[in-house]
Amino acid sequence: MSFLIARSIEEAVTALAEGARPVAGGSDLVVGARHGADTLPSKLVAIDRIRELKVLQLDDTGCTIGAGVTHAQLMTDATIVQHYPALADASALVGSPSTRNVGTLGGNIMNGSPAMDTGAPLLVLDAAIELRSQSGQRRLAIAALWSGPGTTTAAAGELCTAVLLPPAGERSSSAYVRLEYRRAMEIAVVGAAASITLNADGTIAGLNLALAAVAPTIMSVELDFAGRQLNDATLALIAQAASTQARPISDLRASDTYRRHTIGVMAKRAVDAAARRANGELIAVPVNHALGIGASS
Amino acid sequence: MVAPVVPKELPRFDRADGAAKVTGDARYGADMSLTGMAFAAFRYAEVAHARLISVDTSFAATMPGVVAVLTADDVPDVHYSPVVPDRTLFATGTIRFEGEVLAAVAAMTAEQAAAAAAAIVVRYDELESVTDLEAALAPDSPLVHEDWQSYAVSGDTVRDRNVCSFSSISKGDIEAGLAEADHVITSRYEADASHAAPIEPRAILAEWQGDKVTIWTSTQVPFDARAGVCETLGMPTNKVRIIVPHLGGGFGGKCGFHFEAHIAALARAGKRPVKLVFTRREEFLAPDRRREAMIVELTTGVRSNGTISARKGRLLLDNGAYAADAAFFPQLAAMHAAGPYKIDHVYIEASLIYTNRQPSGSVRAPTAPQACWALESHTDEVAGALGMDPVVFRKLNGVAEGDTGVAGQVYGAIGLQGCIDAAVENATPSAELGPDEAIGVAVGWWPSFPGASGAIVRIDDDGGGQIVTGAQECGTGAVMTLRYLAAQELGMEPTDFEIVYQDTAAGPYDTGATGSQTLINNGRAVVGASQRIAQQLRELAAASLEADPDDIVLEAGSAYVKGTPAKSVTIIELAGIAAGDQLLMATGSETPPPYPELATNCVGDQGVAAWAGPQFSCHAAHVRVDRETGVVRVLDVSAAHDSGTILNPLGALGQIEGGVLMGIGQALTEGTTYDESGRQLNPGLVEYKLQTAADAPTVRTCFIEPGGEGVGPRGAKGLAEAPNVATAAAIANAIAQVIGRPVRQLPMTAERVWATSTEAGDNT
Repeated sequence: MSFLIARSIEEAVTALAEGARPVAGGSDLVVGARHGADTLPSKLVAIDRIRELKVLQLDDTGCTIGAGVTHAQLMTDATIVQHYPALADASALVGSPSTRNVGTLGGNIMNGSPAMDTGAPLLVLDAAIELRSQSGQRRLAIAALWSGPGTTTAAAGELCTAVLLPPAGERSSSAYVRLEYRRAMEIAVVGAAASITLNADGTIAGLNLALAAVAPTIMSVELDFAGRQLNDATLALIAQAASTQARPISDLRASDTYRRHTIGVMAKRAVDAAARRANGELIAVPVNHALGIGASS
Repeated sequence: MVAPVVPKELPRFDRADGAAKVTGDARYGADMSLTGMAFAAFRYAEVAHARLISVDTSFAATMPGVVAVLTADDVPDVHYSPVVPDRTLFATGTIRFEGEVLAAVAAMTAEQAAAAAAAIVVRYDELESVTDLEAALAPDSPLVHEDWQSYAVSGDTVRDRNVCSFSSISKGDIEAGLAEADHVITSRYEADASHAAPIEPRAILAEWQGDKVTIWTSTQVPFDARAGVCETLGMPTNKVRIIVPHLGGGFGGKCGFHFEAHIAALARAGKRPVKLVFTRREEFLAPDRRREAMIVELTTGVRSNGTISARKGRLLLDNGAYAADAAFFPQLAAMHAAGPYKIDHVYIEASLIYTNRQPSGSVRAPTAPQACWALESHTDEVAGALGMDPVVFRKLNGVAEGDTGVAGQVYGAIGLQGCIDAAVENATPSAELGPDEAIGVAVGWWPSFPGASGAIVRIDDDGGGQIVTGAQECGTGAVMTLRYLAAQELGMEPTDFEIVYQDTAAGPYDTGATGSQTLINNGRAVVGASQRIAQQLRELAAASLEADPDDIVLEAGSAYVKGTPAKSVTIIELAGIAAGDQLLMATGSETPPPYPELATNCVGDQGVAAWAGPQFSCHAAHVRVDRETGVVRVLDVSAAHDSGTILNPLGALGQIEGGVLMGIGQALTEGTTYDESGRQLNPGLVEYKLQTAADAPTVRTCFIEPGGEGVGPRGAKGLAEAPNVATAAAIANAIAQVIGRPVRQLPMTAERVWATSTEAGDNT
């Protein structure tokens, strides 16, 4: 087994070209290996000490988040909490404090689990990612990243270096909520993220909704509610759309019937929380704890 | 509000093992290591029911690093287990559950051992599994043990085919009692199996010197482990020494004899020390300790005035593949399904049924949380049918001093009524309840278990004390409390004593950390030994102070003549004198207090219907239900307990809090699921969901000390299991109030709560 500590992105992608697998926090890779889900790769390249992967900056073009930024940073960073709160909500729910301290955004999205927490927020926020390899750099819409449970469209030699978020608009905000059976060390049973922009009259200008753990990948919900008032009737239709479009499975965590029902509940709660934030209401991160959703209060 | 009991005259309690555990000095089983040791790995059956054709170890034995490979052919052909000896160290002939050990390997690295275990070639024909408790009773059901009649069973155990043990509780005339009822309510409940899930997966290290073997093992019961090694390997008691390093919890999961003999046999065959360390997955799959699944059917007759006239019940308990220590479970479960109530006519029958699942065995308060959950959910249904407040109903029907219990036992001073009052009074006031919140109340009870136990107490030449005991510390602090008891008898400080424990070659016999009885039994032994030393000290002081020994007072490290504290001699001085003479040392064991006589006709008596030192409890749980998802959050639990005199209040508070949290897990998230053949689907902490620190509610504890009925030092009763009895039931009753009907499956998962609540909606 070989283990290389990369000091730069160049070193890392060279190692990837030679067949190494990247490891940052190791919270998926190592745990997976110990559970026998996957053996530990024979070649590993550690990317957790590459400074370029730790950037987190906001400018006129939007926000750049290095792939090595941890969940603990995202849940407390003022920029993220203010402009992209769904991502902060999601990061605050990942695992335990120790998981959040080592687990990274890049690791979470590249692992490709349909139950990942940060995926749905990034999808509703129209995120793109930067992929680097020895042959260069490309940008990929996050919607085009996931191809199935645990798989992505990234090539083996490609390293996710950053996540790019467009600027947050006026009267817009976002939220992520998930169903959880306990308050820590939990994996989403179902989760929903919403990003909403309101018109000056309070009607919906734009609404993105994405769901976690109800399909082979994080999925978007097709909605057409522009111009509507966001009232109980609209929320009920949103819940119905989410339940109808979801393609859940039955497993140890929940039956498909229960997932289909609760994804609707999560969807309307996410939209409601996002809209309240867009209207200027301060709802602390994570929404799950602030509003008593699921097991929390 | 009743103030929670906090340390009164008792000193602040410092655990003797606390600093070592906090600083990392403490060594656990997996930390132990000996020069030249090899590592063990087991080859498990991995199928639930099969005819075993062959276990071919010939290639595995030649693999790199392998020093020993054992199967049933390499150990004595001995059937073991208490009461129903139906088990062998390695499977022979029939595989009865997936965690059955077929072969054991020792190799120079853990990886080599695992590779060799995997290379063993096993041939078998799979058989139809027995997994359904009702179907297992059918005359044409496959048998888990085709040779069940051949086992050398002890006691009054009643068995038949797949029924490993049957018991009934019978009092009065059940049909007449139901006939005189104005309302008859019938309920059915079903509880899933669950696990003890201690933080430390077990570890064992064995080393031979000549014909003697020393085994370091993470067991709660070192003397049982020793007996198991002696029985299965055919060895005399004094050739086997069991040492328990610090134990990382057990909760019953480490009771009983498990894998010590496998590792000792490997070490003998490999001619070097051998160490086994379980993975979390193995800790879930292999031990014969799991909390049994249970079906509970109850019928209760009540009169219009709210009194119970009769209770009838039928319980089916999932034993799994082997009896382990579970033969007494039916009778105990029947007692918990009958409950601490005044009922003239009772008939409850309970069957422990063999299935092709992991064996069940004692997990903290075995049978009680599930049976209490069923009974107390049913009790709220009964009160509801009468239109009566469930707390008033419990007060009216609950036992008090002078009442006769369901098994005919007449109680002395007991604290059930006081527990109900205190738990309700300390609970969240109803006016403070938010939307979709409610408080559920449940009562529970649990026996104390007097038994043989010994200790040696010494005072060395410098006045420092040693308590040498066979008692086992499993985390409850019971052994740690022994210092306090000795100090009280000798006028010394608890910190004057060191404890030598968890070594069968040093300490006298003790039952181990099982049945909440360490402090009542070993405490009695330590008090007895300390009193003998106190007498020695009084005689030495009397000689020195020219007084009568009966007039000597031992206090604050000195001996003085009653009434004249100024005229004193220090215990250090007396210890110095004794060091050159008869030495200050004494043994204690003392005759255990008797069990009450069983006053009713019970079939299949296993000795757990007439209870010595019965403990009582009442829990009131404040719960919020997210009605749209069924997710339940427990916000506050008020727990009131009669465990007799509380000897160590801080330790006792910790036991209540831990028991409540474990009860919440059982109530809401902890359940083992199986595939159709009987194999576990969630043997790990990702999908078997324990409660976390973040889920912990506020726990308000109150101890009721009624006096009388105690069986331990100063009127103490057991404590450690009782707090795990009523929590799930209290939570269930709160949920039922919010959603309008009881959830009839345990754990009451979010999905089950939602499904139950949806059903309720359909009916309105």
